[in-house]
Amino acid sequence: MILSIEQVSISSRENKIVDNVSLSVGEGEWFAIVGQSGSGKSLLSQAIGQMLPTNLKVEGKIHFKGSELLSLSRKQFQTIRGKKIAYIFQDYQSSFTPFRTIGQHFDEYLRTHGVSDAKRRRIESIYALGSVGLDENLYKKYPFQLSGGQLQRASIAIALTLSPDLLIADEITTALDSVSGHRVLELLAKKQKETGCAILFITHDWRHVRRYANRLAVMKDGEIVESGGKHRILDHPKHEYTKQLIEAAPILGQGLPSGLQEVEKR
Amino acid sequence: MMNGLTLRLPKLKRLSWRGIAALIGLIIILIVVIYTFVFLRHDPNLTNLDERLQNMSIQHPFGTDQLGRDVLTRLLLGAQQTIGYSLLALFAAIIIGVPFGLIAGYKRGVIDRVFMRVGDGFLAFPDTIVAIVLSGLLGPGIGNLVLAIIMIKWVSYARLVRSTVLSESQKEYVLVARTNGLSPSKIIRKHILPHIVGHVLVLASLDLGKIILLISAFSYIGLGVQPPTPEWGAMLNESRPYFQSRPELMIYPGLAIVAVVLLTNMAGDYLRDHFDVKKEVQ
Repeated sequence: MILSIEQVSISSRENKIVDNVSLSVGEGEWFAIVGQSGSGKSLLSQAIGQMLPTNLKVEGKIHFKGSELLSLSRKQFQTIRGKKIAYIFQDYQSSFTPFRTIGQHFDEYLRTHGVSDAKRRRIESIYALGSVGLDENLYKKYPFQLSGGQLQRASIAIALTLSPDLLIADEITTALDSVSGHRVLELLAKKQKETGCAILFITHDWRHVRRYANRLAVMKDGEIVESGGKHRILDHPKHEYTKQLIEAAPILGQGLPSGLQEVEKR
Repeated sequence: MMNGLTLRLPKLKRLSWRGIAALIGLIIILIVVIYTFVFLRHDPNLTNLDERLQNMSIQHPFGTDQLGRDVLTRLLLGAQQTIGYSLLALFAAIIIGVPFGLIAGYKRGVIDRVFMRVGDGFLAFPDTIVAIVLSGLLGPGIGNLVLAIIMIKWVSYARLVRSTVLSESQKEYVLVARTNGLSPSKIIRKHILPHIVGHVLVLASLDLGKIILLISAFSYIGLGVQPPTPEWGAMLNESRPYFQSRPELMIYPGLAIVAVVLLTNMAGDYLRDHFDVKKEVQ
């Protein structure tokens, strides 16, 4: 297990937002967290990178490759962020600083993580852009000159440049149209095969879960109501809430919700 | 340096003639002031009672004052005092205020609360009171006046910067920069600071006029620049007894103050419009 979250609770001063959540993500696995808005899935993902606002308190343990993340100091954490754990967010427009070019984002990112040679930084960035199917001349462009799909590809490129062990994708397709969304996810799946990183995939779209995830957890009101393999949960949901969710997203065609063919009874 | 402050400035559309005129006027005044520094025909402090209260002449283009000193020379040197000390006060206020705002806005929590309460404390005093109390405690003089102005003005910069930082640091690119492992100081410098440059520039240019007025006003009542150093407000005060016989002695420095304050305000308005236009386009 590359990441295991043990009994993590996140609470503000008034109430508990995430309550006693445990889950674990294996190496090279695509793990999906499904839940409606406000179920605490984004906060949970931010807790992994110690990205929570200061007014929220985290309890519990988060193990990542043998080290306990919540006990690390801020300095130690800066080397893990970006290098070992990378994030991609939903809002591609504001994921880039508006007055800096795509290239400057790459450059700064690589320099922070110890690539001191400017030429090498440039070559690596352009290679990374190419690997997500983006043109070299985007290197000099400003974020507002790119389309949404291009920006989200660029953020994938940046996130994967240093081949992190864990990629946390927080509703990355929500703001894209469904065609661009699928293309971005295809790309992500391809990159995952190449780099072998684990993906913690936060979504509320069953189509993506059905197609890409290996395992998943369903969150509701800050608790995980059900978790397990994709086929088990999609085809044989136990919890009432999971059943409701799956029924709310009808599928076309035959077969089980997870895409498996039903065994014909003779 | 490509990585420093790469601000994307939109094309200079809609150039208003007033803004241009103001900027050109300010530049001309600055050039004249610097030129005066190098080239002086008369000693500004040399009294010559034989030549007192003279009319315009080639020797003295604006005449002489009650002590026989050349008015033009004193007017130009007065600009150095007035504008120079105003700029000094302004820069000092910005240099103190901007980091305070940046830290308060970025760190939030307790630091923010402490910083802002300190700021509120300063803000509670009207500017004139601070200046009068300071010169009462430390004695009148331009240094104390500048100190008083800095104490009043830095708060508005801290507050302006803080509010911008508060709204900007909510945006996801700051989160992304953090997840990419950048240190807070680097995030502040590279990703947040360029946002506030425009706002600070606008506020500063509008403030400059106010500070010039403040310094002149306090010199007029004798709390600022001390005689015989030439300063516009002090010159107004010195010429007061001759108001009826030689009104131009008061008109020259008065007009100088009016012109400079007007120009800085026009430049400030222009800059404000300019940065608003940028927002509309976005």
